[in-house]
Amino acid sequence: MRLEMGTFPVERITFGPETCYADGHLQVDKDAVAEAVHADPRIASVDLEVAYPGESARIWPVRDVIEPRIKVEGPGVIYPGTAGRAITTVGEGRTHRLSGMGITEVSSVNWHDAGGDFVEVYLDMSGPWSDLIPLSQLIHLCAVVEPDPGLGNEAQNDAVHKAALVVNDQVAAATRHLTPPQQEVFELREVDPGLPKVIYIWCVHSPQAMSGSPTAFCTTTYGLTQLTPPWFLHPNEILDGALTGPYRTAFAMSWTVANNPMLLDLYRRHGVDWNFLGVIALRTEWTTQHEKQLMANQTAKLAKFLGAQGAMVTWDAGGNEFIEVVRTIQACEQLGIKTVFLTSEDDATEAAPTMLEPLPEANAIVSTSFFKTRTLEVPDLPPVDRVIGLQHKDIGPLRDQRVPAAGQLPPPPRHDDHYGFTTMSCIEY
Amino acid sequence: MDSPLRVAHYVNQFFGGIGGEDAANVGVSLESEPVGAGRALQQALDGAGSVVGTLVCGDNYFNEREAEAVAAIKGHLEALKPDILVAGPAFGSGRYGLACAEVCKTAQALGIKAISGMHPDNPGALSGWPDVVMVPTGETSADMPQALAAMVRLAGKLGRGEALGPAETDGYMPRGVRRVHDRQRPGYQRALDMLLAKLKDQPFVTEVPIHAPEKVEPAVPVTDLSRATIAMVTTGGLVRKGNPDKQVAANASRYYRHSVAELQSLSGADWEAYHAGYFNHIVNSNPNYILPLNFLRDLEADGQIGGVFSSIYALPGVATPVAMSCDLGRSIAQDLVNSGVDGCLLVAT
Repeated sequence: MRLEMGTFPVERITFGPETCYADGHLQVDKDAVAEAVHADPRIASVDLEVAYPGESARIWPVRDVIEPRIKVEGPGVIYPGTAGRAITTVGEGRTHRLSGMGITEVSSVNWHDAGGDFVEVYLDMSGPWSDLIPLSQLIHLCAVVEPDPGLGNEAQNDAVHKAALVVNDQVAAATRHLTPPQQEVFELREVDPGLPKVIYIWCVHSPQAMSGSPTAFCTTTYGLTQLTPPWFLHPNEILDGALTGPYRTAFAMSWTVANNPMLLDLYRRHGVDWNFLGVIALRTEWTTQHEKQLMANQTAKLAKFLGAQGAMVTWDAGGNEFIEVVRTIQACEQLGIKTVFLTSEDDATEAAPTMLEPLPEANAIVSTSFFKTRTLEVPDLPPVDRVIGLQHKDIGPLRDQRVPAAGQLPPPPRHDDHYGFTTMSCIEY
Repeated sequence: MDSPLRVAHYVNQFFGGIGGEDAANVGVSLESEPVGAGRALQQALDGAGSVVGTLVCGDNYFNEREAEAVAAIKGHLEALKPDILVAGPAFGSGRYGLACAEVCKTAQALGIKAISGMHPDNPGALSGWPDVVMVPTGETSADMPQALAAMVRLAGKLGRGEALGPAETDGYMPRGVRRVHDRQRPGYQRALDMLLAKLKDQPFVTEVPIHAPEKVEPAVPVTDLSRATIAMVTTGGLVRKGNPDKQVAANASRYYRHSVAELQSLSGADWEAYHAGYFNHIVNSNPNYILPLNFLRDLEADGQIGGVFSSIYALPGVATPVAMSCDLGRSIAQDLVNSGVDGCLLVAT
């Protein structure tokens, strides 16, 4: 499987009579894009707005940030399987990406209506919150979308995410016939057999247990979000969006999945430091201990049969999902696979363990610091001049205080650098 | 220059030069100068401090007559008024390690800074955790010079009232106090560095040391259920319909006690779930899923249990820090004990 990735850096986005790209300047035909979005009758309204790093601007609610990509050669479509897109296996041929920007899906639609999993992410383009979130360094082409209010929740989710993907397709198509300024080839070529074989175990949340639905919206694998046994994915499939879509933090967005530095560095050092075998994507938030332990056992077994001598483990969630993640690490170590875990930490009050189940086999952990913004002592964030999206936000433990979104706001509850973008960590005294 | 620190040193009978196992029953004595291992300590202090008293006690005496040993040591420390107490190092010796941990705690209770050193697997390391600063040492006294050098360096900091740096840089056993720290290199790079080191069997330092969790002794079983009062506790986020008490859905800082004395079963008309960690709809249709009052009433009517306690306890068990969870749990347990409850059914979600 060979994939050429062509990169078109974006330094400026303007609106104009046609959608085109030249020398870092992306021009977007707002009317044509809106018309394409409105081709779906489920969409009630759509507007496009641009936000630059450094601006006194807040984007709220941020459901997803998508890097514009398009397949220009090879089978399948980019971001396959989500919102009705084809499920042809991707990862071959040529893909174009627009770097330095994101298409930002802004809508009041919540993930699902059961339990308390609310969209809480907002992005500030300047100020203390922007310093903590790499996505704030991007130029955002915001698609502010509201669906038909008469639709059910899942249909609304599907419609809104589909709209953002339509914007992706419209924008990325501007590069279809252009020669990329930068190009990189991704291929798991034969390497020195003496190099250690390494697998990446990438744990992704499933919303099934929380929502009670196998089709609730979240990070998808070819469009599926339900609880499924571990998947083996070629890293090229992920670069083409076979694993994509958001969860509840600014580090669990389509953009961060597509640009996961752990995946890219594992890949770029293939043949140099190790033999990169690929990715096992493991769904988490199983319900019973039986299921959790079984997934751990089967993931480790799969890694072992693939020949893994080392494993890197990341995850994107919290709470009870830790069990299947840490049990997977334990199972790998018990099979002789040397495993490293990159994770955020829970509160360390009165010397309580920050790992929910502190298993001794998890003896190589890299910390991306506390996941709660409260524990990180992120202050209330200062007012902004402009809000893109909803002009109010419901805050407080019961979400019963409605305040202007442009005013001073408590930070989103989670920071949680799932893939090690930042240098933040904890150290023990 | 700072005036030299006044150092008190605690050693066992062996390192105090009294004798081996045959002398393990000797009680606490005070020497006004360094003895045994203390001479090496005095040397390691290298002018930065002076051993003003050595407390010696047999390992058996300390562990078998701890209250007396601690009282004697307390008296000596009050008289000596040292800037710092150095205990050990105890290396792999379990009884000595346990004594060192207790002596350090005794000193700290008097406001005197303290430090010990021992092998990380020494039971004293667990017993002193997390309050006592300990330097990890080898298993035998062959490691004495390195152990003392590290202990003296930290004793100087502690004795002068300076804050310790992180465990991994200052060389003591991590004590569970986690603070935000910028490691100047992105997480993914550090993780891949660690993976490469692990694959090559090269040394690496985990950024999150694993500490064994607290073990809880189970209560003795209820001897006669037919005479027992059984209470019910749920962490399923049970609230009265409409949540009039304004309980939160996650990160609870209190629990609610509701009377069920008049109820045979929980109805979805009166109760619901408010919990941010699972699919609440099922419970809203039948709240007995997270608090099976109807089944307990059946057992009560059957005479299989003596009775159902008149109140139930409810909170959402999700995203609550461990320390708060412990406080809430202790409070519920105390309330149950005070009410004469014999057994408790805890329904978790």
